[in-house]
Amino acid sequence: MREILRKELTRVFGDKKMIFSTFILPVLIMFVIMSIVSSLAKNMANDIDSHTSKVFLVHGPNSYKSYLESKDYFIETTDIESGEEMEAAKKKILSGDVDLIIEFPEDFDQQIENYQKGDEIPQIKTYYNPSEDYSSAAFEKLSNEGLAEYRTMLLGNRIDDVASLTVFTVNSDNEEMVIQDEQKASGKAVGMMLPYFVTILLFAGAMSLGIDMVAGEKERGTMASLLVAPIKRKSIALGKIFSLMIISGVSSLVYVFAMIVLSPMMFGGMRGGSSTEMQFMLLPSQIIMLLLLLIAIAFLYSSIIVLISVFARSIKEASSYIMPAYMIVLIVGLMSMFTTGTPGNKSYFIPVYNNTLAIQGILTQEISPLQYGVTLGGTLILGGVCIGLIVKAFQSEKIMST
Amino acid sequence: MIRVENLTKKFKLNKKQMLEMKTKDPIKVAVNHLSFQAKPGEIYGLLGPNGAGKTTTLRCLATLIKPTEGEIYVNDYEVQKNPEEVRSSIGFLTNEIKMDEQFDVDYMFRFFGRLHKLSEEQIEVRKRELFPYFGIDEFSRKKIKELSTGMKQKAAIAVSLVHDPDIIIFDEPTNGLDIITARNVTDYLKGLKEKGKLIIISTHIMSEAEKLCDRIGIVIDGQKVAEGTLEELLRATGSKDLEDAFFELYKDARKGE
Repeated sequence: MREILRKELTRVFGDKKMIFSTFILPVLIMFVIMSIVSSLAKNMANDIDSHTSKVFLVHGPNSYKSYLESKDYFIETTDIESGEEMEAAKKKILSGDVDLIIEFPEDFDQQIENYQKGDEIPQIKTYYNPSEDYSSAAFEKLSNEGLAEYRTMLLGNRIDDVASLTVFTVNSDNEEMVIQDEQKASGKAVGMMLPYFVTILLFAGAMSLGIDMVAGEKERGTMASLLVAPIKRKSIALGKIFSLMIISGVSSLVYVFAMIVLSPMMFGGMRGGSSTEMQFMLLPSQIIMLLLLLIAIAFLYSSIIVLISVFARSIKEASSYIMPAYMIVLIVGLMSMFTTGTPGNKSYFIPVYNNTLAIQGILTQEISPLQYGVTLGGTLILGGVCIGLIVKAFQSEKIMST
Repeated sequence: MIRVENLTKKFKLNKKQMLEMKTKDPIKVAVNHLSFQAKPGEIYGLLGPNGAGKTTTLRCLATLIKPTEGEIYVNDYEVQKNPEEVRSSIGFLTNEIKMDEQFDVDYMFRFFGRLHKLSEEQIEVRKRELFPYFGIDEFSRKKIKELSTGMKQKAAIAVSLVHDPDIIIFDEPTNGLDIITARNVTDYLKGLKEKGKLIIISTHIMSEAEKLCDRIGIVIDGQKVAEGTLEELLRATGSKDLEDAFFELYKDARKGE
């Protein structure tokens, strides 16, 4: 088994191209993609912020125009009439040529000024297009925030002491309102993405190598050369599984390390659930728990991949067999990303899903010893069952002959 | 010593294979009650057309596949009961066995040496014997994928002999080789025979069988139709050469169908 293990490791670690494609290239790809996405999102936000909103005012009152002049909004207002002009403006909203229409009652200023108790409250109507980013931003800025402020201003004109209308404020000068464990909050932010990336990358990293190691060797006829060597088939199977486990384990550690180190550059300063810039550091106990779990996951995934590959006669066939398993890992990873609340003990009995939950739990320090034990034990047992099946398959003439 | 007793190998065909082979029978009998013996110091040849069952017989001998019926003894080890011991005693070479193209010849030679539990010194000794003989030294550091077909075959022969086996089983050993290398290989096999090794080859090349084999077993449709030295086969069929003898036997076998 040692010789097979050594050969398979030499295949990867003895070849600069393989080292680059297995360990460095995925990190570079991840870094470049995430940096581009982050940079594009940042540019998009800047573009929206610096955009001069085109706002059409219907019966725009002087008080509102004065209010707008007093603010430093990037807007360009145009007065229009109701009726046909209004209909044409709505079409422009639809096409994205205009960002917002604010429709005031015809004699708005008079209505406000002459207001008597029991009079009808004048209504301001706004029109925008949620599908257009500029329009949504203009609506948020001018309708939700601006009109509320304008209303308070008019109210101040009507009542001398506008503060008498304020029964209470909420957190107007409470700078210490957030009480949280920063480590836990940072862990939660990382814990949302990390299990997803770890499980996906672990599986993906092991997938191509595992397929090549078993189905590829069968296809190329190199497996037969091992089968006529005086070693037990069990040793061949174990040598391949453990080498794949080591390679995928190392690759996942490289990916995780790269993610933690490069994330500030990739995401331009993550905040996640944390109130401050992310301060993520693992405790020694967390590192040990994570390491053991990662080894177990690498063991399980390698076993699953080898088990599936052993039934295929070619790389192409193995790739198609393995795709459903990859999809399951992808979906389970996504599920864990959007799980809310604390998962119950039962969830830790679900294979594969429990791995992502456990990584999350370790990072947020919310996992119990029982949950961790069940996950670790279950993963190792399942991996062991797969190995049993692989060894049996290696003995089968029908499966091993191409 | 090799003893094959009533070897039968049947394969179950899937629908696609049945269509390809134009048969309605889901069972293909590749080898049918084949028996023969070969002893140290002789070259035994299995001669037959393509699909006769020669390679299947050799694959059973090498423990790659299991006999459906019958027994095979290699140095008194039964292939199904003691496969590791059998594999230790033999050097097996067939076209279906390839070497990992990512590694160089030297690495593969050492790798298989270690699988055969040889020490580094023993591997080095074998390397000094085999590499110069087959002219491997000049390309021993090249990756297998960079080699020509002939070079690959030479490397495969050397690797299969790394552990200096008592029994050498070669399936079409000169297949794909140029005339000079082919001669090199046959001369080497003769040399091994002189050293008391047992050699079994399969071939469909009559001249190769004539020159190389001490005894020949002619296999047609999975059955042994004749066996003996070249002279015995020529006498029995009244032929002047092996090719004629083979066709006589082939016609007889077809008549019986």
